[in-house]
Amino acid sequence: MAVKNKVASKNKRSLANRDEPAEKPDVFPTAQGIDVPSEPEQSSDEDDDVEEGDFDEILKEMAEDQGFSSADEEIENENELDDDDSEGEDDNDGNDSEIHSSDIEGASSEEGEEADSEDIESDNDDISPLERTNSRLTDGQETAVDSDDASEAEAKDEDEEDEEEGEDEDEASKLANEGMEKLTIRDFGSDLSGWKEYRKTLPQIDAGYASDSSTEEPANTIGSVPIEWYEDYSHIGYDLDGKRIMRPATADELDKFLDNMDNPDVFRTARDEINQKDVKLSEEEIDIIRRIHGGDIPDANYNPYEDTVEWFTSQTMVTPLSGAMPSKRGFIPSKWEHKRIMKIVRAIRQGRITRSKPKSTKPKYYDVWEKAEQLGEKIKTLEGSARRPRLPAPRAALPAHEESYHPPPEYLPTEKEKEQWENQIQDSNYRKRSFLPQDFGSLRAVPGYDRFIQERFQRCLDLYLAPRMMKKTTNLNAEELIPRLPDPRDLRPFPSAEALMYVGHTGRVRSISVDPTGLWLLSGSDDGTVRMWELVTGRCSGMWDLKEVVYMVSWNPNPDMCMFAAAVGGRVVLVTPTGICDDQKQLVSEEFVRAGFTNTGNDDEDDGSLPVSWDMPTSAEQASGIRVSVAMHKTVKSVAWHRRGDYMASLTAEEGGSSVLIHQVGKHKSQRPFRKLKGAVQAIKFHPTRPWFLVTTQRYVRIYNLMQQMLIKTLQPGVKWISSVDVHPQGDNVIVGSYDKKLSWFDLDLSVKPYKSIRYHKQAIRQVQFSRRFPLFATVSDDGTIQVYHGMVYQDLNQNPLIVPLKILRGHEIRNSLGVLDCVFHPIQPWLLSSGADGTIRLWT
Amino acid sequence: MGKIKKKYTEGASRTYITRNRAIKRLQVSLADFRRLCILKGIYPVEPRSRKKANRGSTKPTTFYYSKDIQQLLNEPLIAKFREHKVFLRKLQHALGKDDLTRAKTLESNRPQYNLDHLVIERYPTFADALRDLDDALCMVFLFSTMPVVRRVNKDSIEECKRLAAEFMHYVIQSHSLRKVFLSIKGIYYQADIHGQSITWIVPYQFSQKLPRDVDFKVMATFLQFYRTLLGFVNYRLFTSSNFAYPPKIDQALEDNAAGLGSLKIESSRLEDLINSAKIIESGDESAAQASEISLDMKKQLNTLDKKIQSIVSTANGSSTAAPEYGSIDANEGDDAESDEETQIENLLFGKQVFFLSREVPRYSLEFVIRAFGGRVGWDRSSGGGSPYTENDNAITIQIADRPTQGHQFLDRKYVQPQWVYDCINARRMLSINDYLVGQALPPHLSPFVEYAEGDYVPKAAANLAAAAGFEGEVTNLDPEDRDKSESENEDAEDVEGESADEGTDSDVSEDEDTKAEKQYQQQLLAERSGMSFAEYQQQKQEDSKAKKSSANQKNKNTRKRTKAEIEEEERQKIAISMLSKKKRKIVNRTQAEAQKRAKDANALKARSSQITTANKSGKKAR
Repeated sequence: MAVKNKVASKNKRSLANRDEPAEKPDVFPTAQGIDVPSEPEQSSDEDDDVEEGDFDEILKEMAEDQGFSSADEEIENENELDDDDSEGEDDNDGNDSEIHSSDIEGASSEEGEEADSEDIESDNDDISPLERTNSRLTDGQETAVDSDDASEAEAKDEDEEDEEEGEDEDEASKLANEGMEKLTIRDFGSDLSGWKEYRKTLPQIDAGYASDSSTEEPANTIGSVPIEWYEDYSHIGYDLDGKRIMRPATADELDKFLDNMDNPDVFRTARDEINQKDVKLSEEEIDIIRRIHGGDIPDANYNPYEDTVEWFTSQTMVTPLSGAMPSKRGFIPSKWEHKRIMKIVRAIRQGRITRSKPKSTKPKYYDVWEKAEQLGEKIKTLEGSARRPRLPAPRAALPAHEESYHPPPEYLPTEKEKEQWENQIQDSNYRKRSFLPQDFGSLRAVPGYDRFIQERFQRCLDLYLAPRMMKKTTNLNAEELIPRLPDPRDLRPFPSAEALMYVGHTGRVRSISVDPTGLWLLSGSDDGTVRMWELVTGRCSGMWDLKEVVYMVSWNPNPDMCMFAAAVGGRVVLVTPTGICDDQKQLVSEEFVRAGFTNTGNDDEDDGSLPVSWDMPTSAEQASGIRVSVAMHKTVKSVAWHRRGDYMASLTAEEGGSSVLIHQVGKHKSQRPFRKLKGAVQAIKFHPTRPWFLVTTQRYVRIYNLMQQMLIKTLQPGVKWISSVDVHPQGDNVIVGSYDKKLSWFDLDLSVKPYKSIRYHKQAIRQVQFSRRFPLFATVSDDGTIQVYHGMVYQDLNQNPLIVPLKILRGHEIRNSLGVLDCVFHPIQPWLLSSGADGTIRLWT
Repeated sequence: MGKIKKKYTEGASRTYITRNRAIKRLQVSLADFRRLCILKGIYPVEPRSRKKANRGSTKPTTFYYSKDIQQLLNEPLIAKFREHKVFLRKLQHALGKDDLTRAKTLESNRPQYNLDHLVIERYPTFADALRDLDDALCMVFLFSTMPVVRRVNKDSIEECKRLAAEFMHYVIQSHSLRKVFLSIKGIYYQADIHGQSITWIVPYQFSQKLPRDVDFKVMATFLQFYRTLLGFVNYRLFTSSNFAYPPKIDQALEDNAAGLGSLKIESSRLEDLINSAKIIESGDESAAQASEISLDMKKQLNTLDKKIQSIVSTANGSSTAAPEYGSIDANEGDDAESDEETQIENLLFGKQVFFLSREVPRYSLEFVIRAFGGRVGWDRSSGGGSPYTENDNAITIQIADRPTQGHQFLDRKYVQPQWVYDCINARRMLSINDYLVGQALPPHLSPFVEYAEGDYVPKAAANLAAAAGFEGEVTNLDPEDRDKSESENEDAEDVEGESADEGTDSDVSEDEDTKAEKQYQQQLLAERSGMSFAEYQQQKQEDSKAKKSSANQKNKNTRKRTKAEIEEEERQKIAISMLSKKKRKIVNRTQAEAQKRAKDANALKARSSQITTANKSGKKAR
């Protein structure tokens, strides 16, 4: 057994202790508490080894009381055993009496070659770390052992004492040897003599045979102080009795040298400074040094790869073994279970819990329609009512050629179409079809259609989200719908072709009029002239230059007279043209017109209020045939004669009642029939048979009875802006033309709403006219056309009037978006005369 | 004075009900309402006046008939839906509490409902159901090709596969397929079942991409009803033609991807026999009954077993010989069988045996060929269960879709698949020459198009029609036509020389082209005038004679006539102006439509003529 410096050993010990927990973590994985048994060993280890083992034992006992049976203990024991063995072996180096086998107790493995390198000075420094370790370890102990046992507390106290006075430790350990119960604390403080006295009372230690240090004296008593302190002395420390321990004699250098030369073991000899002697290292120790040098674990017997001891098994047992007694509870039938069971039993008895029905073995599909069809059973259906039958969903359209995988080439889209299709939004209505026709050539080249599911889904959505409605689609042929009109050829005569053109006017011809004999045609134009034409030849037989726009010319309808009225600017002039009729007629007319001038004095009742003055024209005018000039405040737009020719109505361009005036030509008298008039008056007309007067405003045609002075009817053509109106010669029917292209036919006996509305013209209707003699009427329009209709009114009141469009006459040119302005039928022949914005008048025969 | 009437108590506001009000009245969620509407077939309607129907509001809403909603109130499905909701809640609760046993029992008692009553409600007669079968078939066939993914229920796909196969079997057995069309979207089939023409589309069998913008819940609801409907229809169809329903599945064949062949169609009588035998055999446990059976009966039973065996064996044997999948009436004698055989032989492909190369769509071709009486074998790689191998001598036609064929058997013809479909649509065996393997195919035309007057008729259609019934009948051609054909002949001669056969062939065909076109047009004219084609021809000849005499006059008249026409046109215009606004609109619309049709037809005609001239010039250049 190797001899070693005690201080070093202590240091080693402390180091080892510090290392120890790290070395065996797997053995005691859980806590410091289990570490406990190993620790006291170190704390006691610091001092005399004799007591050490005992103290250890005490601590072990303490640990066992706590319920730990530590493995460290066993290890410890093993170590001790080892020590014993080594003790036996170490006999060969008996060169020093101070060798203590106990010195290496429990530390054989930990001691290393460091012992060589360590010098005494460093040992000094190492004390404090040792103390620190001690305190730490005791703390650890404290935590581990902290429990109800009072003895432990005392032991702890004792430990504290250890810390305070290092010298006391021997004694304390001795006390501990006697048992923890006897342990008493005596504080000697610095009273060394007291301690000495006390020490003498203590029994002499008899290290028994079993003791490690039984045959040996303590080699070193100076403790861990640097050996230099004793350099100047002949002794080193003192023995128990206070006698000096003499320094062992040291050989001089020569001896040393000789010794080195002689001794074959010189290479394995180390100097123990503390004990002042050479130590020969055993084979084991060298081995340890070698191991440390190689970075191995110093202990040769230490197996770092020991088998794992499963202190706490990782495998869960199916039926864990337990030493616990089976509980009484387990043998007594459970009341609550019984209750629950009884509850179920009762429920079964009462029929609340029944067996689940066996799965029906009925086949999934059967003949559902059998009952309804064969047995005639009444089955509730969703048929819907007769009024609202269920609408089946429309079937999906069947595919056409272009959907083919290999369509004829003409069905394939061009590049342009393709591009257009691709630019259109998907699912939008712009796309003619949902796919692009493609030619794959052969069936193997056809890919899957990527929008198949979407299209099916869309169909689903249509089926349950799209509102359905029955739409009656007319599968009629268009020809069937078009009425079978009588052939126009059967309805002759009617004007069908242009026969003559009257040229001369330089402006728009706003108005034309044919005299009752049918020989003469009058026309008034924007160029300020009124011309008279010989109707049959087209020769201009007279002209009146009136300097202002002529809005209207109108022959007096009385066949006994030869006279016409013209609305020129702000006046109406009455003219008796010369040279076109016999003298008799001429004379009568002139007399009639002038008669008014003679009796002007008689009537001065309300002349002042009316804006009219009956003037004698200038002499120049008189010479040209103008007999009377009726001046008004505003522009005169229209003139209408009563059928007898003695009354004349005029319409001026103003709002209110005074726009319409009725003049008695024979007496040169004017009167205002309407105090108020709603809206702007468009046209006026005398009824051909009855004493009625038609006033046409923008939306309505009002018919007044002049005799009774009351409103008879208001016709509602339902148009935006009426342009003209005419009354059938028999007096029961009225036609109304409007600027919104519509012609409305009214039957006065029936309704105020039109009997028929016809819309053919592309532009506004300017004038409508009945023929006085034939069942004809005509409309003229800004689109330059004249539409001639057959308008037959039957004497039988039950028969509706027959209206047949006969002919569209074209010829007039359109100027400034104005076409035909006026038309008039010939009073005797089935001829039509029309005047247009192109300054011409045409005769249609 | 009477009592003042309350508002909205009658009229449109009572007839119609808005969706929200309906939901409130039914006390269901919107999702349930939608599902109900889908299942019950209740659809929104468009009232004449939305304002009146919605109590004066013009908000955009959907309207339903109040009567329909009233009917929904009594619908047992609503209760079922509620039950299901409660069940789900309970299940959720149990799962939340980790009470798995309870969850399991709940799951085993999951409330079930079926839609049988809805089928009879919506379709009171079988004919009604057939009439509305189009959508159901499309849907079922689509889902039968759908991949099993999370959004699509696996069971329903399985059932769809089965239902589709059953329906196809019925069509095969009843030979009721009429038209087939290979579209770019899929394959359209039209069958004539019990007098109803039923059209459905089957997608090409590629893996379907499941789009994200599709609500599969809605489709699943539709499918649920359609499955039920098709199940009942199939049952009826099978039983009405004496087949057992459901047909048995031969699992081995099914696993071997035999497709249609894996369903065993058996006569229902045979089925009954087998069933009864089984019952008696297993009826040993009812010992009382057994003791009553006399010895004679026992003897009979013994013999019955043998009989059945023999019947089954004959049935099997015949099915292997001629793969008709056991459509044999067991009890009737050999006469019936032979009758059926002759009947099949009279069908379009009755005498043909086809072999399908692996690149052709077997799922479609097998169906259509068998529907027209043909017998089919296929390559092993496109599924098992083929009754013929490729080197079988019985095979007359092999359908291949490869530009070149490796090894060709001399005793059979190799055609492209389009030939089969075109034959079906033409209802006769077409000449194979145009459809030979590796050749450019003639265009495939839709059989669903009906030509109205003035419509554009593609050249191919005219050819087909001409070839169909008027071969050789027409002898007289106008001199102009002759000239034309001659000149064309010359053209063709220029081209000739590459191969003699082809040259003459093309010659004839081109000749026939023009002829055929004329003939077809004439045929159409004849149809319109309501007499047979021959009569029409006679009359035409007479007419032409008369016309020739007055030809000169005609030429003079043409100018005047145009004037008259103009007049007529004007008169028509005038007449239209006399119409009421409503009628005028109708007339205008119809005229516009006619114009548009004419325009489209003209455009097509122009394009086709352009193409033909381009081709010709190309040929000449070559």
